[in-house]
Amino acid sequence: MKRRDFLKNVGMITGAGAVSLSIGGIPMKAFAKPFMNIQSTNGKILILIQLKGGNDGINTVIPLDQYSAYANYRPTIKILDTSVVKLTDATGLHPALQQFQTLYSEGKLTLVQNVGYASPNRSHFRATDIWLSASDSNQYLYDGWVARYLLKTFPTFPGTPPTHPMGIQLISVPSGLFDSNDGGLAVNFNDPNAFYTLVNGLTADNDPSPATIAGDELKFLKEVAALSMQYAGVIKEKADKGNPTSTYPTSRLGPQLKIVADLILGGLETPVYLTQLDGFDTHSNQLTTQQTLFQNLADSVVAFQRDIEKAGLADKVVIMTFSEFGRRVKENASVGTDHGAALPLFVIGKSVQGGIIGANANLSSLDGNGDIKFAYDYRQIYTSILKDHFGMTTVEVKDILLKDFTTLPILKPTTDIHDYDSVPTEFSLAQNYPNPFNPATTIQYTIPARVKEPVPSSFRDETANVTLKVYDVLGNEIATLVDQSQHAGKYQVRFDGSRLASGTYIYTLRTNSYTQTKKMLLVK
Amino acid sequence: MDKSSYLKKISAWDSDAARHVLSRALYGYSRTDIEFALSKSLDDFIDNFLLKDLPEPTSPTYNGAEWVSLENNSTNSPNYSNYRYSLIWWWETLMLQQGYSLREKMVWFYANHFVTEYNTVQVPQYYYLSNKLFRQYAFGNLIELTKKVTIDPAMLVYLNGKDNKNTAPNENYSRELMELFTLGIGNYSEEDIKQAAKALTGWRVNSSTLSPYFTSSRWDSGLKTILGKTGNWNADDVVNIIFSEKAVAASEYLCRKLYKEFAYYQPNEEYVKQLAELMRANNFNLKPVLSTMLKSQYFHSVDIRGAKIKSPIEFLLSLVRFFNLTYDNDLLNQIRTKSRELQQEILNPPDVRGWEGQRKWMNTTVYPTRNKFTDSLVSGIKINGKTYKVDVLTFARTFPSAIPPNENAVQFIEEVTLVLIQFPLSQARKDFLLASLLDGTAVQNWSTYATGASTRLEKFFKALMRLPEFQLS
Repeated sequence: MKRRDFLKNVGMITGAGAVSLSIGGIPMKAFAKPFMNIQSTNGKILILIQLKGGNDGINTVIPLDQYSAYANYRPTIKILDTSVVKLTDATGLHPALQQFQTLYSEGKLTLVQNVGYASPNRSHFRATDIWLSASDSNQYLYDGWVARYLLKTFPTFPGTPPTHPMGIQLISVPSGLFDSNDGGLAVNFNDPNAFYTLVNGLTADNDPSPATIAGDELKFLKEVAALSMQYAGVIKEKADKGNPTSTYPTSRLGPQLKIVADLILGGLETPVYLTQLDGFDTHSNQLTTQQTLFQNLADSVVAFQRDIEKAGLADKVVIMTFSEFGRRVKENASVGTDHGAALPLFVIGKSVQGGIIGANANLSSLDGNGDIKFAYDYRQIYTSILKDHFGMTTVEVKDILLKDFTTLPILKPTTDIHDYDSVPTEFSLAQNYPNPFNPATTIQYTIPARVKEPVPSSFRDETANVTLKVYDVLGNEIATLVDQSQHAGKYQVRFDGSRLASGTYIYTLRTNSYTQTKKMLLVK
Repeated sequence: MDKSSYLKKISAWDSDAARHVLSRALYGYSRTDIEFALSKSLDDFIDNFLLKDLPEPTSPTYNGAEWVSLENNSTNSPNYSNYRYSLIWWWETLMLQQGYSLREKMVWFYANHFVTEYNTVQVPQYYYLSNKLFRQYAFGNLIELTKKVTIDPAMLVYLNGKDNKNTAPNENYSRELMELFTLGIGNYSEEDIKQAAKALTGWRVNSSTLSPYFTSSRWDSGLKTILGKTGNWNADDVVNIIFSEKAVAASEYLCRKLYKEFAYYQPNEEYVKQLAELMRANNFNLKPVLSTMLKSQYFHSVDIRGAKIKSPIEFLLSLVRFFNLTYDNDLLNQIRTKSRELQQEILNPPDVRGWEGQRKWMNTTVYPTRNKFTDSLVSGIKINGKTYKVDVLTFARTFPSAIPPNENAVQFIEEVTLVLIQFPLSQARKDFLLASLLDGTAVQNWSTYATGASTRLEKFFKALMRLPEFQLS
């Protein structure tokens, strides 16, 4: 998918006569094509909280089992063992995260210890890019991992944009998380109503841009305008409907999560939100800074979680914190810490398994730099979220993260695939959507559980050898989309026909006991 | 374009070349400014105007009172927010009044290179000193400037240099010195950072004299190995070692930054390499580098012209210059707050990398906010009972095609967009602009003296400044 057709499909035609339309002035039907429904997702929502600056993990999760070693490293900035909020005898939280203990005891918080990657980078910017793009330490990727997930979930973008934004960021500078070769995929704003008012009167057009570097920049500007116009209306509508009742902190993360709650309660189906809490680069004065930030974090997250629970939407939503790196174990001379490596992160929500994954950081086995070694690759967390929250298949996740990573028991297995009520009872191969298509389409199929009643605890081990292949009308094999053993569940795969000629193609699902074939039409 | 021509001087010093140079070197310009530039030769205009060394401006005052050398103490600190505003207004004024000079653009360049954040430092006196330092070195030597920045009070506070001492080094400045200020990632090791941090120990800031001072008892006098060189190095040595041991990396890194600021955000590495060679040949003196860049064929190529998304400050201040608006501190303050809303809060970059610029200036909120602001400037902004407004009639009549009996609407579009828009406009765009200019009148009847001309012109200028092309420089 090389050129973007997004602008064309916004339907804001500005010919020589130049009619400019505003989203405030036109109903959706004025748009050239019907938008794809957002429901190509499984309805799940991920809220990312970026702790910007590199959060000190050792003062977040205090290793009580090595307290004297910890205290030796940190004579002035240690958290007193008497004030640590205990999760277990060995592991405790910073006192300002008291409310996280509550979530933990309710089984709604999973703590993952020592998250990082090989050859950690200690530059804020490079390390942030690594986390956002899901790359190896020495691999440079332009697009964000969430962008890659979104393009897989919305295969018809940019041709047919979804009715709700694919991503929303409540931060001012667009994040690399949503950068894709098809442009930025997220909308950002601070306030839904102000955003709506602001966009009213904005113009967009599909006047072609020249094929120069400068022309690319012009095209980019037009796309930003188009994104604003397209989504300001639905964002306001949903924000008007939502009615969060919790009390949120009035600064930093609080207002951001309140807006997210507002939109989710109002029915917005955007699958990914990015929020940010800045100020964790505590080279000096760490104690008060981290205290303030954690208080804000805990208050905001708990207010949000309660709103989502009251609205009966808690099954849908998961929160994940992340930060570009942890900090040096040994404190520096300025009551602070320098840049480090691995650190803990939190995944919060009703659908998490709860508990602690992994042992405390081992203070007697630091790396050559005096930093904490990683036990879990950060992409294992992403893998777990993509599979167990968003219900993506192994093949899809590999396309997104570019490698296979094992999942961690962070989340309860996703409803779509593993909840026995909705475990498919028979094989099926659905008609691809959209059809006809250009250049990509999505194919869904189901693999049934072999034993239906009663549900065996081990049904996840029931697998079938599955292949899904595409052929041309002469029977030549064009592509193998799936070739592996799969658990019972619903699956979808994307087929990209960019490099193929227009025409009819055939796709066939085969398992040990089942074969079905359907046709699809590529029209360029 | 052949790579061997990248640095060669352009052959034609014409209106397009002059507009391009003015739009990148200044904060807005008028038709007269283009004419002035073209009345000189290319060499004359670049070397004797844009790159001329200028006297230092007088320091800022608040309500007529001096404050830049006041001690940093609790008696003075209650006034700091006022001093900060006065510093910002003073700086904005310099940008608007600099004449034909690249100096203020270079001050911004440095401020966004050797980054500090006011929210962390919170001493306006220190910010004045940094600003002054950047101005002194506008076209100067980058090695010397880097040494000065290393012990600049704002920097010593911001990156914890003042807390860095032999007993427990603080790596904050050491890391950013190599990663962001001189070499870029990949040209040093974690161990180099630790060793250099030790060499950088010992410096503090005297809050009475506002100057840095060295305390030898806080300095790590032992042997340090930095980038392969071993010795009992101090802060100056660190800078010297970086620029001598890693001259290629440093020159390429710094030329890449210059390229990003003045040409385009995605560097042409071959051009950067050639410019860096020139930088090394001139021992990191900037003037010959800037001179070559501004005259070079690649800098003037069609790829670069009109490809830069204006920063909020460029966008806002150039409006004042384009329309020759009368301004005072109230308007300058409005620009300060508007710039913050547009994600460029003066003296407060988002982090130590500074503003990334270009596409990061734009998002779904900022874009319409820019449009609303240009609209409001045409309609009139009221601040403290005064109205600041583009005088569309007067402005329009600065163009020959608006003067009777030679009034010509089609020509008017050409003349106006030549000043206000760098990007080459498509015919459809010009037709659109003509349609909004005429607003129903027949083209042969168009006149700025016709009934309702002012209202029509207001609509026209609003439409023009809402074009995405207007965001490009």
